[in-house]
Amino acid sequence: MFHTTGFFTFLAAVLAMFYLSPRSWRRVILLAASYFFYMSWNAKFVVLLLVLTATDYIAALWMARVPAGGRRKTWLIVGLCANLGFLGFFKYFNFLAGNVAMLLGRPADAYTLSIILPMGISFHTFQSISYLIDVYRGTQPAIRNPIDYALYIAFFPQLVAGPIVRARDFFANLYAWKAPQPKEQLRGMVLVVFGLAKKLVVADQFAQLADGYFRDPVRHPGSLAAWGGAIAFSLQIFFDFSGYTDMAIGAAQLFGFHFPGNFRRPYLAETITEFWRRWHISLSTWLRDYLYIPLGGNRHGRAATYRNLMLTMALGGLWHGASWNFVVWGGYHGALLSGERALGIGRRKGWQVARVALTFALVTIGWVFFRAASFTQSEYVIGQMFAAPGARVPWPRWQLWAAVILLILAVLEERRNWFERLVESPAWLSAAALGLLLFCIEILAYSGPAVPFVYFQF
Amino acid sequence: VTSFSVVIRLAGAIVIFFGLDGLCFRTGYYRSLLEPESTAGYLANTLTLDQQRPTNGPNEIVAVGDSRIALKPRVANAAGTPYRFFTIAVPGTSPRCWYYMLREDDPTANRYAAIVIPVDTYDDRILEDLRTREVDIHYLTPLLRVGDLFEFAGSYPAWTTRAEAAEAVLFKGLFYRRDLQEFLVNHKRRLTILRDVNHRASGWRHDAVWGSASLAGMTVDWEKRVMQPERKQVAEILFQDQPPPNPEFAEYRRMWFGRIIQRYRGSRTRLIFVRLARGPVVRQGLTTDRTSSVREFARRGEIVLLDEHYFDSLERPELFVDALHMNEQGATEFSEMLAREVTRVLGGERR
Repeated sequence: MFHTTGFFTFLAAVLAMFYLSPRSWRRVILLAASYFFYMSWNAKFVVLLLVLTATDYIAALWMARVPAGGRRKTWLIVGLCANLGFLGFFKYFNFLAGNVAMLLGRPADAYTLSIILPMGISFHTFQSISYLIDVYRGTQPAIRNPIDYALYIAFFPQLVAGPIVRARDFFANLYAWKAPQPKEQLRGMVLVVFGLAKKLVVADQFAQLADGYFRDPVRHPGSLAAWGGAIAFSLQIFFDFSGYTDMAIGAAQLFGFHFPGNFRRPYLAETITEFWRRWHISLSTWLRDYLYIPLGGNRHGRAATYRNLMLTMALGGLWHGASWNFVVWGGYHGALLSGERALGIGRRKGWQVARVALTFALVTIGWVFFRAASFTQSEYVIGQMFAAPGARVPWPRWQLWAAVILLILAVLEERRNWFERLVESPAWLSAAALGLLLFCIEILAYSGPAVPFVYFQF
Repeated sequence: VTSFSVVIRLAGAIVIFFGLDGLCFRTGYYRSLLEPESTAGYLANTLTLDQQRPTNGPNEIVAVGDSRIALKPRVANAAGTPYRFFTIAVPGTSPRCWYYMLREDDPTANRYAAIVIPVDTYDDRILEDLRTREVDIHYLTPLLRVGDLFEFAGSYPAWTTRAEAAEAVLFKGLFYRRDLQEFLVNHKRRLTILRDVNHRASGWRHDAVWGSASLAGMTVDWEKRVMQPERKQVAEILFQDQPPPNPEFAEYRRMWFGRIIQRYRGSRTRLIFVRLARGPVVRQGLTTDRTSSVREFARRGEIVLLDEHYFDSLERPELFVDALHMNEQGATEFSEMLAREVTRVLGGERR
């Protein structure tokens, strides 16, 4: 969707309409464009979006009217039930039905329904929940203008796959809106192109390697092939999701909205704890603020902390998809986080390269649960990762070089912040870099059928 | 960073992008590296070999066409005429392709004594809509220039195909990228193949031995629409009803043959249209139209039409491998007959 000619035509048209129209129309234009964007996927589901928006809007208004206490909590529960009810039905009904059927000894599809997962439901549901809880807590005033609230939920750059924007950040942008400065416009455009390059040139190319392995791992026995396939997926999912996020943040910036970054070179993390401070930051902070801390966080002793970590990460895993693989993936990260905390690993220094490599290896093992078609396949692949080397790594040489170049760029960005420097660099240099990037997209983008964004399925 | 500098940066980026694209893909260098068995590579290699061959003086004749023109240059040249025959025919191409191929092969429009242009019929009758052929874009990408943008893209009726055609004109890298990435992965293999192919003689594919199979012994009952021995693929083509006159096809021919005619107007080059042998057997009673696009061109003296029935004697099962294509014997007979007839039309003397 974000990487199609159609989207760029749409973006250009909306930008033109936005800036050519009187200021008082702009929110309506953005909202209309966002609904159009959503309906271009499936027009019928806009009803769901409208119902959820209306429910949250009314629930928040009622919460703001009544004093703190029972009645406020009732409206919070109403709002949460509506959001979680829809999410539960569309995303988890078949998962539960399948498990119930299995427990009763019936065929797995005995009770399942033919359900289409509405686009972006996991993301806008989390935005709604955080808004309702913030209003309940009194840290966010209820929004009185329904158009403003609807825009918060449906704003098209982040509707499909985040980043999950907090209400206070969004409305601070909206109510103190200023036309973006030239530097911000440039940054927005460069981010969009940069994100596109990440997706088309890197993620989609590595997707072919990952797909080639995970389609039938048995055909590629040995640890070299298993690590090759798993690392290819590690690169695919990072460049896919962070590419999308860059495009979302860049597109929002072109409209004068500043969203916080969602990734900070996560594969350079020295520990799993640090990894989660760098990976999908908007989700991990959401889980921290609305799940981990309300569960008690680290305030009730070690055992409770580990339980809370495991529970938060397992639910975080389940948020990604309705399958045991995702629960195990979440639980695996919960266990690693608990283990690090127990061993005090985060406090130790030294052996930086080895620690980064080990963290990357542990994260890559986790991605196997994420990518594998079934739990059995995950078990097989992880088993192969620790087996004899076997067949050679099925990577073409140019992709090995691409991975090395990407690593160098990541390290340089970590140490020198070259991206921001590039935006502010002399005109000839940034023009040359942008031109070169466009040329790389032209010739190195994957040339097969379009590969959907990984996180669009969530 | 000011608004002006943002504009400068974007404009600079676009200039650099097109500069890199032009440097890599418009200088002709990458064209020589294309996979020779791909559509674009096959066509580019055919033209390159023809452009690189030594000249044989003013009496050269070249044939364009698709897989149906069974011209073997070596056989035609052995027919004892004063002319030297060459071919740049490429399977699957159409008149739109032939215009751009001739423009590339003969930039001065003065290289040849004559150009042979084959057609299935002098009438404007066809089942396929040639205007919509997307494969033409893939064949022609190496030959298209920025100036062709509106003419080429506009020749497609659907906007989606026009956009694709415009992409091929403007963004060469987009169309070459699959080939380029394949080259990056298997460059040794590609270079070996190219070394072999680039040392061949012009027209080597046509001079090679054609299929030896034939439809000899085939009989057809037109009323029952049955052939013996049964060959489904042959029957499907053989028993097609004659298509009605097609105004869009007439317009298409006027456009692309018209462009070829326009290009050679005032040149010494004669344009000779040839109706090919229609098939291994031909149904009696087919309608012939009095007027058609190519007949109009001929009436105005802009082209020469060889006798419509000149190749009827080749419409024999033993000369065809299938419903459309001749075999080795058919190609040999066709080449000899074509050489003699073209020589007769041109006057038979060295010019």
